[in-house]
Amino acid sequence: MNLTELRAKVLPSLTTGTSRLALPADLIRPADPASDGVLALLSLVGQALRFERPSTPEAFSVEPEIRDERKIIADALRRPLVRLLGAKSATEHPARALARIFDRMRLRPHPFDLPLIDAFVRCNAEKLGPTAQHWADRQKPQDTTRSYFDPEALDDSNWTQVALRRRIAYLEQRRRDDADGARALVESNWAKEDAEARFRLLEVFETRLSLADQSFLSSLEKDRAPRVRATTAKFLARLGAGGENPALRACLERIKQGKSGLLRKRVALELELPTNVKDQAASRWVRQTFADVSLAELAGAFKITERELTEAAGKDEPLLLALALMATTERRLDLLELAVEQLPNAWEKMAESGLDTLGTMTESERQRWTETIAHPYGKGLPAVYSLWDWLHRITDAAAPFAVMSVLLKANFFAKLHEHERSGGPWFEVMAAICPPPQRQELREQIVQFDPSQTVGPLLLLDILDRMERDLAHV
Amino acid sequence: MSLTLERIEGLAPDQASLAAARKLLKPASWPTLAQGDGLIWGECQGSGATPYRVVVSEADAGYKCTCPSRKFPCKHTLALMWMRVDRSTAFASAAVPDWVKDWLSRRRGSSTPVKKAEGKDESKSRPSILLTEAPEAKAEADPKAEQRAAAARERNRLEREAAVIAGLDELDVWLADQMTHGVANFVAQAPQACRTIAQRLVDAKAPGLAGRLDAVPTRLFTLPGLARPSAALRELGQVHLISQAYRRRSELPELLAADARQAVGWSVTRDALLNDSAALRVAAKWRVFAVLSEAQPDRLRRVETWLWRESSADRMPAYAVLVDFVPISTGAAAGGYLVGDEIDAELNFYRSTVPLRAQISSLNRGAEQSLTPLALPLESLGASYADYEQALAQLPWLGTIPLTFRSACVRRHGEQIYIHDEQGGLSLPLDPSLATHALPLAGLDRVDGIGLWNGYEFTMAWAETPLGRWLRS
Repeated sequence: MNLTELRAKVLPSLTTGTSRLALPADLIRPADPASDGVLALLSLVGQALRFERPSTPEAFSVEPEIRDERKIIADALRRPLVRLLGAKSATEHPARALARIFDRMRLRPHPFDLPLIDAFVRCNAEKLGPTAQHWADRQKPQDTTRSYFDPEALDDSNWTQVALRRRIAYLEQRRRDDADGARALVESNWAKEDAEARFRLLEVFETRLSLADQSFLSSLEKDRAPRVRATTAKFLARLGAGGENPALRACLERIKQGKSGLLRKRVALELELPTNVKDQAASRWVRQTFADVSLAELAGAFKITERELTEAAGKDEPLLLALALMATTERRLDLLELAVEQLPNAWEKMAESGLDTLGTMTESERQRWTETIAHPYGKGLPAVYSLWDWLHRITDAAAPFAVMSVLLKANFFAKLHEHERSGGPWFEVMAAICPPPQRQELREQIVQFDPSQTVGPLLLLDILDRMERDLAHV
Repeated sequence: MSLTLERIEGLAPDQASLAAARKLLKPASWPTLAQGDGLIWGECQGSGATPYRVVVSEADAGYKCTCPSRKFPCKHTLALMWMRVDRSTAFASAAVPDWVKDWLSRRRGSSTPVKKAEGKDESKSRPSILLTEAPEAKAEADPKAEQRAAAARERNRLEREAAVIAGLDELDVWLADQMTHGVANFVAQAPQACRTIAQRLVDAKAPGLAGRLDAVPTRLFTLPGLARPSAALRELGQVHLISQAYRRRSELPELLAADARQAVGWSVTRDALLNDSAALRVAAKWRVFAVLSEAQPDRLRRVETWLWRESSADRMPAYAVLVDFVPISTGAAAGGYLVGDEIDAELNFYRSTVPLRAQISSLNRGAEQSLTPLALPLESLGASYADYEQALAQLPWLGTIPLTFRSACVRRHGEQIYIHDEQGGLSLPLDPSLATHALPLAGLDRVDGIGLWNGYEFTMAWAETPLGRWLRS
């Protein structure tokens, strides 16, 4: 009897039960009368099934072709990287620093390591190259993913094919060089963009916003995404084309205008907080209230220049914070410097306000921004972990050399209280923001502390150094 | 010396253990540091009055420390290995102390190099319980007492034989009941049904069959619903085959009868195996290609170290598996070997028609990490699968077995991943637990490697690819 016959005659009985469907009498030749031969058939069927080869699917999935021009990191770095990113106690800072350097050096993780560092890849896919992006998108429906293309150089013909973060950077540069050309690029592709992309592309119009953008912006007033509509209204209001800005009106209702000075009368402004907004909530309220108001609008409302606004704010802390936040949003670092001169704890206040993005600032702008808010502290940089944690999250860049120098010269870690040092992963954030030339000095300072706290940061410094030495192979 | 920093790193349970070990690298923490007979040992001053005693076998990285840490290896062990590799601290040559000898005698696996060429008496050079026996005890042995003990052993054996046969009779009744109600019904209540009969078989002193039946529900529930009745037939069919083979073992070839005994649960002790002159012995260079670890219901962890033979030995097994059992409570999840280790050893295989499980009888050179590709045969997955079918014909209840493959590819079909041999038209589904880990292999044109096939799914263990080496662990 062959397998086909067994399948047809025996399998149904054994599956449903011989009490319901008796075995064909001619097949039962009991070796042992007690067993009725059923068990012999069971063994025979079972063994026959074991010899059945597994079935091959009719067709396999077609894997997408990914053109990844980045180099794979050196083999020697693979295990340390997986170990560091897999450490249970690790904060997000090592991952941020690594993603940054992958991006800057145009390197990519080894494809076989992607499952081992899955969480890292998902969070930083845009910085890790097309293979990593494909990995992170693997469970998304195919029609929601873009093609995986990451050429070394971008131009007007291929800029739409790369990851959103690179597209923003490219468009930002184009706005600086040729604002009209950049707008034309966005317009030509606008209909194909999803809500997130539309919002982030529109934010780029902050750079060299002019009346020439008005007609395009007007066409976006009825966009489906509320964030796009809000940003459009803000820009149009700034151009004086969108009617009265309700956010500006709300701000002005809270600002008391007066005069100060004996010889020269100057405008003096004071922001009155609602009575139910107190303490830490005040900073958050200021950020939310002034989010959709521009410096130009505010200055225009009082008929003074933007620079005079800071002077008019005097020592009014909430208003100075509002001006610092607006200057940050508009990348007006010159005005930020003026505001911070009057508001030395701007770092703490801005962190308190919940500011969570520096928008389209370039890396050098982010570093200058850091320098500006750290400047008032001089050699007494704040020994509060949450501030450094926020700083790295918001800038996503290495700290300026000068700031790190102050920190290293002040022997910062030795001065931290024991409970501060062991409570927060200080060393990780410091290793993550340390500029390359100062890594050795930092290493020497932290190596003397408890190895259980420094082993991760030291490993991070080693990996960053070795990645920069480019030990990679294709 | 086979210890390297990479090896220590591989053995370390976590980064914190390495960091803690680093702090112990100061010689001041070690009042005693010594070496001898392929071992290093030391005493590390902890927080208590008594120093912790640590011993490490250099050949296979076996270790023991008296500290109460629940990490394996502990920081003291790692530090001792580290200092040895660093060579920054001197180890004094000394005679092996009693506490080290005691550890050696209780080790399950042999690790001390035994070289017959040196003409040493094997019983002296290999650490075993025999070593701890005092010579005068033999002289004073009472022949009558020995006779009584032998008679008692024989009586016990006969009693067990009778109990097993009775257990098999019960098993037949149970199997017949399952067939009466049908396997579709059995699948629905497999956990309770299997547990009951497994307990009866344990009582009947047939733990091998009991374990096999205990594992059936887990096996079934890893499969898609439609495949379960068929899998249940396969599993129950095998159980009946073993039961029949055991009853009729006098009619079977010697090796198959030995397989039946082992499948039922008669174990062969390590000493008995090593003293069995008829056991198959293969001296060769072996490469560790997989280390699997699985927690068992009996609170033991089964650690399988799979070896591939790298040097030629005509008509000898090309692979072997070393099986260790460690208590789950110790926290240890791996054996002494790491994937990629190369060892030069003689293996004694348990008697079987398909020799697979073995013990190391002598180790000529300890484990060393090797970067060279695995010396795999040139045959395709299809050819390797045909060898599996031959082995299955010889040993009908054959379990997991290695399959090699050349120029295969990994392909996806929905969520399931397959290893596919285009020429042979054969596709084996990969173990679902590897679905994510093996995904980066999908799309590569050509993959050579080795894995383990259990009749249902393929656990890819090692692959050489255009992108470099892929390892399961």
